[in-house]
Amino acid sequence: MNVVITPAMVGQVVVSGLLAGALYSMVALGLALIFGVMRVINVAHGTLLTMGAYTTFWWFRLLGVNPYLSLLVSMPVMFVVGIGLQRAMVRRVVNAPELSSLLLTFGISIALVNGLQLAFTSDLRTVEFLTGAFVVGGVALSKSRLVAFGFALVITLGAYWFLQATRFGKAIRATSQSPMVAMVCGVNVERVHLYTFGIASALAAAGGSLVAIMFAIQPEMGQVYTFKSFLVIVLGGAGNYPGALLGGMLLGLIEQLSSLFLTTQLSEAVAYVLLVLVLLVRPTGLLGGRAT
Amino acid sequence: MTRLARTALVLVGLGAAGALIAASALAQGPVKIGASLSLTGTYAALGQNQQRGYQLCAKHVNEKGGVLGRKIEFVFYDDQSQPATGVRLYERLITQDKVDLVMGPYSSAITEAVANVNEKYKMPMVAPMASTTAIFKKGRKYIYMVQSPAEVYLEGLIDVAAKKGLKTVAIINEDTLFPKATVQGTIELAKKKGLQVVFVEGYPKGHTDFSAILTKVRAANPDVLGAATYFDDAVAITRQMKELNVSPKMYGVTVGGDLPTFYQLLGRHAEFVYGATQWEPELPYPGAKEFVVSYSLEFPGRDLSYHSAGGYAGCQILVEAIRRAGSLDGEKIRDAILKLDFKTVYGGFNVDQDGFQVSHKMVTFQWQEGKKVIVWPDELAAGKALFPTPPWSQR
Repeated sequence: MNVVITPAMVGQVVVSGLLAGALYSMVALGLALIFGVMRVINVAHGTLLTMGAYTTFWWFRLLGVNPYLSLLVSMPVMFVVGIGLQRAMVRRVVNAPELSSLLLTFGISIALVNGLQLAFTSDLRTVEFLTGAFVVGGVALSKSRLVAFGFALVITLGAYWFLQATRFGKAIRATSQSPMVAMVCGVNVERVHLYTFGIASALAAAGGSLVAIMFAIQPEMGQVYTFKSFLVIVLGGAGNYPGALLGGMLLGLIEQLSSLFLTTQLSEAVAYVLLVLVLLVRPTGLLGGRAT
Repeated sequence: MTRLARTALVLVGLGAAGALIAASALAQGPVKIGASLSLTGTYAALGQNQQRGYQLCAKHVNEKGGVLGRKIEFVFYDDQSQPATGVRLYERLITQDKVDLVMGPYSSAITEAVANVNEKYKMPMVAPMASTTAIFKKGRKYIYMVQSPAEVYLEGLIDVAAKKGLKTVAIINEDTLFPKATVQGTIELAKKKGLQVVFVEGYPKGHTDFSAILTKVRAANPDVLGAATYFDDAVAITRQMKELNVSPKMYGVTVGGDLPTFYQLLGRHAEFVYGATQWEPELPYPGAKEFVVSYSLEFPGRDLSYHSAGGYAGCQILVEAIRRAGSLDGEKIRDAILKLDFKTVYGGFNVDQDGFQVSHKMVTFQWQEGKKVIVWPDELAAGKALFPTPPWSQR
């Protein structure tokens, strides 16, 4: 009892995959930045995304203003929260063994999720805005996903430009190549760490804001995005920033295509099997790690 | 006798007396009933409703003097919608908290897991929110079903579809115990009614992006789409059907579609959606009206769904069984439950020798102008189904 797969269906899922992929790229870039600069795997990344999502939900619920404008709030707010987390806690584990940072961020994540549950209950929430789709030649383009794709693309490319072209972006890249050399060259490494965590949190928050308009949200939603971001940076090469962009798109496509050609149950397994394969065969990621 | 031995004797005597006093004081205390529920996680909305049912029942029972001359008191834990956590919590309730009796958790998957625990300790468990047949057909002696089985959840949808002359049906489901049982039952029912099943596929628990599976559904182009869901996925699928322009003539979900929150979250998109429910507030069961009124007074603004009523009824059943057994002894309560045949706020209760429910009835409704209108079965129907469901562009 299955359906015959037509080119139109493939087109539909490729579109869905790319739309989702841009979002994954943006969120994963944050995780990649933190890992690249500090060698810290931030397990709380998805939770920061959840906080961005709630910012958008309450913005829309309380003010009733276009929810996309809430990005102007969620990103700066989470930037500050990120800096606060770095300053208060993460700073202490930057040069510690990797297990310390894993445990610390895991703890932060649990505390934040429970805080959200206490504050907002675990009820499902939605932002009913821009539902429905444009239908173009048999392919339905979800309006909210299309807009999210646009935002994700612009924000990700903006972040990428920032890393490539600005003085501070160069300091970030220098630090991720070699903290020691960067320090010798006069880069304030501590400050780079601080702002990197802030920027990464803002990227996660942007993801959350966009997700809130597409899907229903609840306090535990973020975990999935932590996993997905992790997958993305392994696929693309940990610490390799263009790799994160490629990895995100790839993950979106893999999820959708495997769901179409195999079954939906298997689609999530496929992505993780790929993760294992990449780690075995090309542990530096598809584009090679650590290069900038 | 040395002084030491005498002192020891006195101490032992004192200890024994102390234990006796403690034991009799305990006997005067409340009857402790343990339950772990999904208060957070995927099943949170439903588990919380069930918990409110338990709480209200305890309040009512205690207002009427309790049972066996003692008050009843619930000990609650949160299993975070995880079967493994549920197992740990029931072990803890029985062995550490030493509860007198237990009530079931939320969902078939978690009930299936914890049923081994209460079975091990021979402690009867009324399981109001488990409707998978298999749980009750494994030779277990201490678990009892309250609601209709998973297999008949979409019976109303299929029956109405057949009467309207529809021919094809697609079914999608969360890939867990209860929805899978619904799929099996629905396939059987569809065959019996002469409908052709053109597409069946599951998706993993916690799935949020239904693009690919709905693309396949659209390609299969069924007259009817049945989704064996819980709450989160029911909401997501309905939203994404609009995004992907999937428009069958009838679309029904199982669990979750009956919650008022379903309509609040989806708004107009919930119009025309069919849902299955074990219970609705307006059904004329004894005590139902009073239950609805006191629920809204006790929990103002909170969801009232069949999970709440089922929880309430499950507790009613247990209390009635304790009363008839005249004791808290597991075996006696088991005998009393197997003999029970009465109506709760939730409808009929009568189980066979396996503890499988044979008396309770399901109903099918459709969301019409923000209200759930019961459209099946005919003898309980309050209105007619709006048929066919128009394409998204015309809603």
